[in-house]
Amino acid sequence: MSVGLEREPSQAVEPASGQSDSGGAGRAAERPTWPHRHLLDTDVLTGGDVELVMATADAMKQVLARPIPTVPALRGRNVTLLFYEASTRTRVSFEVAGKNLSANVVNIATAASSVTKGESLVDTVRTLEALGAQLLVIRHGVSGAPYLAARHFGGHIVNAGDGWHAHPTQALLDLYTIRERLGQSLAGRKVVVLGDVLHSRVARSNVWTLTAAGADLWLCGPATLLRGFEAWARVGAAGRRFTVTSDVNAALRDADVVMALRVQRERMASALVPSLREYAARFGLTAERLELARPEAFVMHPGPMNEGVEIAPAVAEGPRSVITTQVANGVAVRMAVLQLLAGRVA
Amino acid sequence: MSAVAATSVGQPVADLELSRAWLVDPAGGREGPGEIIVTNGVLEAVNWLEGDEAAGVDERGVVVAPAFTDLHAHFREPGNEAAETIATGTAAAAHGGFGTVCLMPNTDPPVDGREGMARLDSVVAGLSSPVRVLAYGAVTARSAGEELAPLGELADAGVVGYSDDGSPVRSAAVLRSALLYGGMLGLPVVDHPEDLGLTSGAEAHEGLVATVLGLRGWPAAAEAAAVGRDLAVLADVLADEPRARLHLTHVSTAPALDLIRSAKAARLPVTCDIAPHHLALSDEWLAGSRRWAWEAVDSVGRARDPWTDGSLVAAPFDSSLRVNPPLRSPEDAAACLAALLDGTADAVATDHAPHTSVDKDVEFGLAANGISGIETALGLLIAGVDAGRLPLLRAIEAMTLGASRVLGDRIGPGSGLVEGEQATLVVFDRADSWEVSPTNLLSLGKNSPLLGLELPGRVLLTIVDGQFAYRDRSLDA
Repeated sequence: MSVGLEREPSQAVEPASGQSDSGGAGRAAERPTWPHRHLLDTDVLTGGDVELVMATADAMKQVLARPIPTVPALRGRNVTLLFYEASTRTRVSFEVAGKNLSANVVNIATAASSVTKGESLVDTVRTLEALGAQLLVIRHGVSGAPYLAARHFGGHIVNAGDGWHAHPTQALLDLYTIRERLGQSLAGRKVVVLGDVLHSRVARSNVWTLTAAGADLWLCGPATLLRGFEAWARVGAAGRRFTVTSDVNAALRDADVVMALRVQRERMASALVPSLREYAARFGLTAERLELARPEAFVMHPGPMNEGVEIAPAVAEGPRSVITTQVANGVAVRMAVLQLLAGRVA
Repeated sequence: MSAVAATSVGQPVADLELSRAWLVDPAGGREGPGEIIVTNGVLEAVNWLEGDEAAGVDERGVVVAPAFTDLHAHFREPGNEAAETIATGTAAAAHGGFGTVCLMPNTDPPVDGREGMARLDSVVAGLSSPVRVLAYGAVTARSAGEELAPLGELADAGVVGYSDDGSPVRSAAVLRSALLYGGMLGLPVVDHPEDLGLTSGAEAHEGLVATVLGLRGWPAAAEAAAVGRDLAVLADVLADEPRARLHLTHVSTAPALDLIRSAKAARLPVTCDIAPHHLALSDEWLAGSRRWAWEAVDSVGRARDPWTDGSLVAAPFDSSLRVNPPLRSPEDAAACLAALLDGTADAVATDHAPHTSVDKDVEFGLAANGISGIETALGLLIAGVDAGRLPLLRAIEAMTLGASRVLGDRIGPGSGLVEGEQATLVVFDRADSWEVSPTNLLSLGKNSPLLGLELPGRVLLTIVDGQFAYRDRSLDA
């Protein structure tokens, strides 16, 4: 029943606290094993699970630094990318990650498949399994769709973004990028997520990983785009607490990390934001606003950006931006995730 | 118990003698140890036991009560017979202890005129089940929300009220006319209170769970706003038509129930019902919880955090939980229970909404709304009784006398145990449970979020107008 969440029996070992980061591939002897069949969200990841992804990503980054950045970890395995929503960076990132691991990567463009003839997700997933898919990477516009797929698929599912719900590899690559700069523990570090939180799967998955890492997390945006989050912050699901505010100055003051989120044009049609101009004026991440943050603070964005709306071009392309580093780290983290999941069937 | 000479469903009950059972008689306001004798389908004797005779009989064993009435059920005939037919629906109803069902008119085509009622009558005439099938007519032509359906014609054809259920009566002006015209005919308007402007695209009750799961919020305000509109219109028409009657169905939120409580205190002629899933389940279930709603609040009535206390035991996003109105917060479920206890809610109605797997085994946000619930209603209420949250007598009243309060004598005899009448009874064993499974559900709609769970209160017999409608297999052993 709970195939998507269930932790299979394992000898998972929590890493000793205070263990330095960048354990890398050389620490295999004391490394915990990966207990999850799928990666559907970050909410079920323990501290040990996250450390394992980070350590494996370190190893993958070393692979990426080679002249020929390819290892045979998934040779002969089939990684199928099933994207029901348009995506460039995430799809290409998974494709490159799979190819770097020597997997056979199959790309399903849903517009050209029988999905447009009304085939159900369950039938599609079963068909892809019959065609040899072993790792299925799903992007879907409806929250929870990968959980449905997981109930009907014999292999491994990676959620590449479902509706407003989750985008676990993005949260993991965000965490990886932050830790590269701030170290393993984020205790006391102020991380601000600024923008359209309501519709953001990136924000939700980041809530789990960043609060678990000890960050002082702030979610900031117009009240219409924070609806419901005050309840989450108050209850502090699973003891995870964060701050919700519409006061952009209070949020940015002394921030260590600022992550801007995309604001889509459609939000005006649903009466959530009066205009993009007004949004940019009140909530856009400008160089001037960024002065409120710590001098060494850096800026992130999961992309794609609306430059001049949620983020000023000078900030997106400025010296504090790590946006292209996020993209590069995305490949390493996705290689790590594919490797950890497929290692189960090796 | 000793049963039974007659054999199969639909046959007259030749003889039934139940000694030492717990009798519940809502119309008489009485419960206690007793025995009943049915001869030739007639409830020959109801003997209440006293003193030594009553020793050892308590309300935790076999219970005898009037068969239940469901004010709100969807059988899908005509138009979607793969989801439910009237034959399978009545079989499911009898398995749930129901002897009378009131069908919503939103079939395809809808029951929006005498042709629809004639079609229904001809199906019912050929039915082997003795379950009484009553029907609402649509408020508006084609249930489209614009022109009135032929309410008088529908009344002549025997409808018990009017509803555009599935949707609210769209405009206050149409509702106003329907209340006036229906009042003139002596029939209630049954509204599904939902402000559609607040629920466009909504997937789950707006609150903690929807936020965490990234589901589009379905605010409680959408129900309260609609109830407020309906009550204002009702109050407005009473001076012109004092017989106007409004019934609000599947009310699910604390603020809406507060409005209805105040309206009843002001003596407005309004009634309401609550669905069993809104009493016993909560939005936590979408995240993977499987605990009863009353276990999901702390000692001061605040919702607990299911992520913290380890109660998430199933995978999230089970689309069998998608229903309109949505499963609400544990606080709202507690308010539903309180409303049932203080009489703000007159009845429990199942909103039985069977669907095929084609419509239901899909992404949560694309799944059809509805729970197949007519067979699990008793079990959910008994779970509340077992937990000490609901007196047994009130639970039974809510599915018998409550319906009579809403629809009057149009639903036929049978909210009491009356000697000399045709027997219309349910016999169930509170101490026995059954597993909710696709095989055990007689409904074609297997879309129950309770699949795999054991429910208390196993129905042994349902008898309607002297005939067996349901007999548990264990009685044939």
